[in-house]
This record gives sequence, structure tokens and C-alpha cells, in this order.
Amino acid sequence: ACLGLADIKIWVLTGDKLETAMNIGYSCNMLRDDMNEVFVISGHTLLEVQQQLRSAKEHILGLSRVSSAGDVEKTDMFAEDSVFEETIIAEYALVINGHSLAHALEPQLEHTLLDLACLCKTVICCRVTPMQKAQVVELVKRHKRAVTLAIGDGANDVSMIKTAHIGVGISGQEGMQAALASDYSFAQFRYLQRLLLVHGRWSYFRMCNFLCYFFYKNFAFTLVHFWYGFFCGFSAQTVYDQWFITLFNIVYTSLPVLAMGLFDQDVNDQNSLRYPSLYKPGQQNLLFNKRQFFMCTLQGMGTSFLLFFIPYGAFSVTVKEDGSNFSDQQAFAVTIATSLVIVASVQIGLETHYWTAVNHLFIWGSLTVYFAILFAMQSNGMFGIFPSNFPFIGTARNCLSEKSVWLVILLTTVVCVVPGLAVSFLRVDLFPTLTDKVRHLQQTTKRQGPQEQNLRRVRRTSSRRSAYAFSHQQGYGELITSGKNMRTSTVSSARSPQRTPHSSNWIENMLKRKNEVSCISV
Amino acid sequence: MVKQEKASANRPDNTAFTQQRLPAWQPMLSAGIVIPGFVLIGLAFIGIGVALFVTSRGIQVLEIDYTGVEQNSPCFPCTDQNRKNCVCDVNFSIDTLFQGPVFFYYGLSNYFQNYRKYGVSKDDYQLSGDLSYFKAPSSTCSPYEYDKNNKPIVPCGSVANSMFNDTFKLFQIVNGAKKQVSLDGKGIAWWTDYNIKYRNPSVTPLKNAFNGTVKPLFWSKPAYELDLSDPANNGFINQDFLVWMRRAALPNFRKLYRRITDGDYAQGLPAGNYTLEVSYNYPVLSFGGRKKVVFSNVSWMGGKNEFLGIAYLVIGSMCVFMSIVMLIVYAKFKFPEED
Repeated sequence: ACLGLADIKIWVLTGDKLETAMNIGYSCNMLRDDMNEVFVISGHTLLEVQQQLRSAKEHILGLSRVSSAGDVEKTDMFAEDSVFEETIIAEYALVINGHSLAHALEPQLEHTLLDLACLCKTVICCRVTPMQKAQVVELVKRHKRAVTLAIGDGANDVSMIKTAHIGVGISGQEGMQAALASDYSFAQFRYLQRLLLVHGRWSYFRMCNFLCYFFYKNFAFTLVHFWYGFFCGFSAQTVYDQWFITLFNIVYTSLPVLAMGLFDQDVNDQNSLRYPSLYKPGQQNLLFNKRQFFMCTLQGMGTSFLLFFIPYGAFSVTVKEDGSNFSDQQAFAVTIATSLVIVASVQIGLETHYWTAVNHLFIWGSLTVYFAILFAMQSNGMFGIFPSNFPFIGTARNCLSEKSVWLVILLTTVVCVVPGLAVSFLRVDLFPTLTDKVRHLQQTTKRQGPQEQNLRRVRRTSSRRSAYAFSHQQGYGELITSGKNMRTSTVSSARSPQRTPHSSNWIENMLKRKNEVSCISV
Repeated sequence: MVKQEKASANRPDNTAFTQQRLPAWQPMLSAGIVIPGFVLIGLAFIGIGVALFVTSRGIQVLEIDYTGVEQNSPCFPCTDQNRKNCVCDVNFSIDTLFQGPVFFYYGLSNYFQNYRKYGVSKDDYQLSGDLSYFKAPSSTCSPYEYDKNNKPIVPCGSVANSMFNDTFKLFQIVNGAKKQVSLDGKGIAWWTDYNIKYRNPSVTPLKNAFNGTVKPLFWSKPAYELDLSDPANNGFINQDFLVWMRRAALPNFRKLYRRITDGDYAQGLPAGNYTLEVSYNYPVLSFGGRKKVVFSNVSWMGGKNEFLGIAYLVIGSMCVFMSIVMLIVYAKFKFPEED
């Protein structure tokens, strides 16, 4: 249910019988009593299966054609558009058994099957062979723009796990084959929720931030040369020291972004689980698409423009305090390089939402290391050893001891960082996304203190269905619970006092509804 | 029971680091931080901008272009390439006392000292006094490493070859007579350049180190005779040479030539008429360059630079304006409390 809120479609592929699978479906809340229709496809021949599939589809589409706006008539939309499914308001379920599935997976029917399956909220395939599991997964992979995840625990799931985009194996009960063939493995099925909603989401979020920052940083670093080209006769003179160019991406700016990629969290794990719809940005590719890339690039270009032209304006007629000039190539290089490193560090600091000790260490450490290496490389000692490799001797000392240089660096940093800050603040205020709201909530909750959190419990909306699976045919349940085969009815009531009032309910329900299965809640 | 033991053996690490539970500071861009921050930055920048602008206004600068492009300019006769050792006089006047210490710069325009091929054309080993490179200059200096008789050029390369060689004498006209203003050329280059980066070969007399080499093609005097009045100012540690070798970043630049610090002019240049006597040797007209002379005094922020002051004022006011906008936006669209 939680995963359903996150817009994740769940299909069950099992080797069990139809009835068992349906009972499991009801007990997991995948099949519900209030669903409009549960289609059962159990034809034996190709034609029968085809007929059943078609009639089910028409049933769905026929009803929805009346209710929806009427834009569902195009037949060619069926092939790729997943938006089409959302116009279906009612809820349907599809149950198909292995025999029919074999027919339905034939090339002429597979599109029909896929369309029908995607129109339904839940799909349960029972009596499937391992090969068919893989085939179903492949069908979805090939024709839909969706990412597939297959989770299983036995050796019969291995082919399915291998076919899907992401394979998850449960290690334990049935041995390690599934776990060995999978991308992720853990011990219990319920951990899947955490894997997807917490770690999967964090992973996507971190990856997108990482990429965005990396492009921004490198554009800011490189495009300064583009602007400089206009003023150096397009001779490809580098603005920076050779050593700075070598070390920039390796030493000065790599560790902070690595720490962000490893530890950043926008929303903590409890809230990620509590609000599954936070998962949607990942599915809809919202955090890093062409537009975001373009924005990153633009920001990098703007930063490089400011990084060059502010020192340009300041350096064209500048001199040192003692009158000697220092509008030379090397001082210019050191000023721009220092501004760049500071701007990059401030930017990563603003983009990190979750400052662990490691983040602090890496960010401040990178800045310190930059200055340490700068002064070390431009010191007398290094020049003494390798004169022609360190031509920047003395520049850092002469340049960074001038107040005007620090004023230039301060101005450049503020001008590069402040627009981004203002834009993100305004965006959060004017168009808050769900993530922003949850983060705000998180922060106010933290401020209120932990004792108040216990009062806000998530209300469980699922109807309490059983933990037992019963056969569809009228079995022994009635017999057992009527107490006829017990020695004394008082003994049974003493053992489980809660059971007796419910048992009368159960019998009544059983008598009322013959086709459905009702179970006692324990 | 057995299953549980096996499970705990396979259990992954449960430390705070591996389970992403590290304690952390989670800052949020809340209005309470951002808006006052912007106001603070804005006000601080306006303050700095005002200080810079006022200081810059107080600096005096006098620029005289003496290239001699127009027919009626005093140095026009010297622009003829065939005239050697041309001297021209440029007259100017100062209205108020030019506060001392006064710094005398020469400036060049449209001169791309930052051109890459030009910039790599020097030999660092030669310039740090390594005699082996006197005999065999490195190939980075080409085509200025050997002359047509195949003798090594010291110092090689086009940066050294193109050294600025105009010289200036400044006179004040007092009662019709020329009174020379003494110009001080000590310490105009960086201390690190003079003492560490550039070293003369440790041969005395210096002239002997240059046996078997020739001076750069454009120079009129060899390196060991650059300053006949001061023996410590010859060779590669000549102050003018060092100032020239520190390549400028932009195509219009100034380099320090001399200081006016002693004698009668220690307090500055008094108001009056002056004559600048220029030994015009450096040709710039062929590439559309211009030469000029700049007199300036300095302050704690360096020379006259209105850009920084104005930039700070502009950015400061924009920050304050942005903070007002953000305050309005925040007040109108208060953050929703519940999801």
C-alpha cells in the first residue's frame, strides 16, 4: 500500500494456485473488496485468451469512455503513453494463470496483455514458470518507459531477477541463489520498502545534486578561459597556474562533493517512509533532466563571467599599496583561482542539506589545503628545487597580502553566490514542492521536541483482513470455528477470548457472500 | 534458533557510518536567516563601497599620451622609424599640489604581453643564472635563441627582447629654467623577483659570464651594462628588466618606472609647469599601440580604481533591494504549516 502511494506498480508472479494467489492478494491489500472488477483470465487456447483479454479491456475502456473526457479513443496511444492509464478512475485487477499467460505472451497478444495489465491497478500471475516470470518482466521492460524491479527469494526467481533492471534477492529460507544473482539482497521482503523509499530516493537525490554541481563547477572553471581569450589575442593563454589546473578537480573540489554524494539527505528516513509520494520526483526524472542541466550550465557560465570580469575591472589599473604594480598575469591568476575555489566551496556548502562531521572536514579542509598548497608551491623552497616548474614564485605572497585583492575576492564570491541563494529561497516560498514541505515539517518537529511526535500516529487505513489463507472452496473453516470438533466450547473461549464475538460475524459473512472469501481478524 | 544465529552472522555493519545515521546539522534556508543576512551583506557592502569610492576619489592621476600620432604632438617627429636616438619634450602643467610620494608609470595600450607564445618565450634556467644555459639556450626561446652567426643570445626569448627602452627625465620649469626632478629607481620590482627568482651568474666581474654570447637583437646595450651608475642593478636583476619580465595580464597596462620621493619633491609635485624629456626608442605605431606616462599617488587600496567602489555600492544596494523583495514575498506567501 505504501509503495502504491509512491506510484509504484506491483505485480505478483507466483507459482501458487489461483486461489492461493488471490487470497494472498486480499491479505496484502492489493486486491480489495471495493475494486470495480477483478478480471480472471484462464483460457486454455489462444483464441479464448484473446477473447477474454479483449473483453476485459473493452469493459474497462467502455466504462471509462463514458466517464472521462473522451480523449481515450486513439488506438495508437496504447503503445507508449503511460499517462493514458491515469484517466482510468475506477480500479481493476487482473489475475491470469500460467497457462493463459503462455498464450498471452505470444507476439500477437502481448501488446493487448500489456495494455490491459497497465490499465489495472494490480496484476497477479499465478502458476507461472520461472521462464514466464522473466518473460513478463521483459515485456514490461521492452515496451514501457518504466524501470522494473524484480524481487524474489528462490532459485525459480533467478531468471526474473536477472531480466529486470534491478534485481533483489531475499537471502535465507530458500538458499542463496536468488541473492547471488541479484543487485541487492537482504533478508526480508519488508526491507524493500526501505530500499526503495529511503535509500533509493536518497541515492537519486544525491546523484542529481552531484551531477549538477560537477557540471557547474567545471563550467565555471573552464569558461573563464573563453572570456580571457578576448583579451589575450585568442592565444589560448591559461588564466591559471598549471598546477592549479591539475589540482583543481582532484584535490581542491573533489572531496566536498564526494561527501555530499555519500551522506546527503534531504528528508530523514522516517519521513521518507511516512510520505511515499516523495518518491515521485525520482520516477518523473524531475531532479536532473535537460532543463536542469541547462540551468546548471547557465549558472556555471554566469559564474565564470563574473569570476573573470570583476577581477578584470579591478586589475586594469590597480597597483599595490607601495605603488609597484601587480596587474600582472600571475597575480591575476592567483586572484581568480582563489575566488574560484572559494565560490565553489561556498556553493557546495549551500547545496549540502545534511552536514555530518565528514562534510565539515572535507569542505573546510579543502579550503585549507588550497591555501596551504598555494603558499607551498609559490614559496622559495620549491622554486629552488625546480626552477622552471614553479614560475609562480612569490606571487601568492605579494598578491594575497594586498587588501584590494581580498576585496575583489569577497565581491566576486558574494556576487556569484547571492543570486542562486535568492532564487532558491524564493522558489521554496513561492512554489514549495512536497520535499520542501516535509523538510520544513521536519525542522519544526525537531524544534518542538521529540515528546510531541508520539502523538501523531499514522492512521492505518487498511481494513483488517486475515493472516490466514483459505481455499476458495468451502473448506473446514466453518467446521472448526463453530466449535463442533472441540471438546468443550468453554475451553476454546478461554484460550482466545477475542475469537468468539468475531466468529459469529464470520459465519454471517460466509453465509452472505458465497463467492468471496472473508477471514477472521486475529 | 539456528536460523537466527546464521542471520546475525550475515548481518551487515550496524554502525552510524554505514547505516547513514551520522549525527548532522541540517540547516534550512529559512527566512529568519536569509533576509537578515542579505540586509547585513548589503549594508556592509555599501559601507565598503563608500570607503573605496571616497578613497579612490582622493587619488590624483595624470596621464599623458606621448605616442605622437597627431601631426602637432611633440613626439611626432620621433615616430619616423629611421630616426635613431630621437628625443622629444612633452610639456604639461599641474594645477594643484600633486601629493607625494608620486609614482611614475609608463603605460602601453593594445600590447598583448599576455599572448601565450610570447609568454613562454623565455628561459628560466638562464635567468636564474645557470651558466650551462648561456651556451645553449632552451628551445622555448626560439626564434630568439641564436643570432645569425649562431651565437647564443642572453637573455633569450621574445619577452626579454621586447624590453621597453624609452627613458624619461622630468624637469620642472622654475623661473624659466629647467630643474630636474630626481627619479628613484630602487625597489620598483617585487622583492621575490629581485632576490630569488632572477639570479645573476655568480661570476665576477659579471661581464665575463657573458663571454661568447650576444645581447638580444633589439637591445642597444648588453645585459651587464644596463645600469652604469649602479653595479648592483645589472644583469638579470636590473629593476627595469624585472618590471618588464613580469608580464601584464591585460592588453592595456602600466608598469612602474620610477618614484619621486626625495629632495624637494618628497612632499609631492607642486603646481606649475613641467617638461618631460622622452628618449623615444620604442616603436608601437606599427601595431596600433599607444604609449603614455602616468603620474599617480597611492592609498591603502592601491591606485585609483573606481570600479571596485562602484561595484560594491551597486551590489550592496541590490542586496538590500533583494532582501526587501524577499521580505514582501515571505510575508505574502507564508509557508504552509501542514502538508
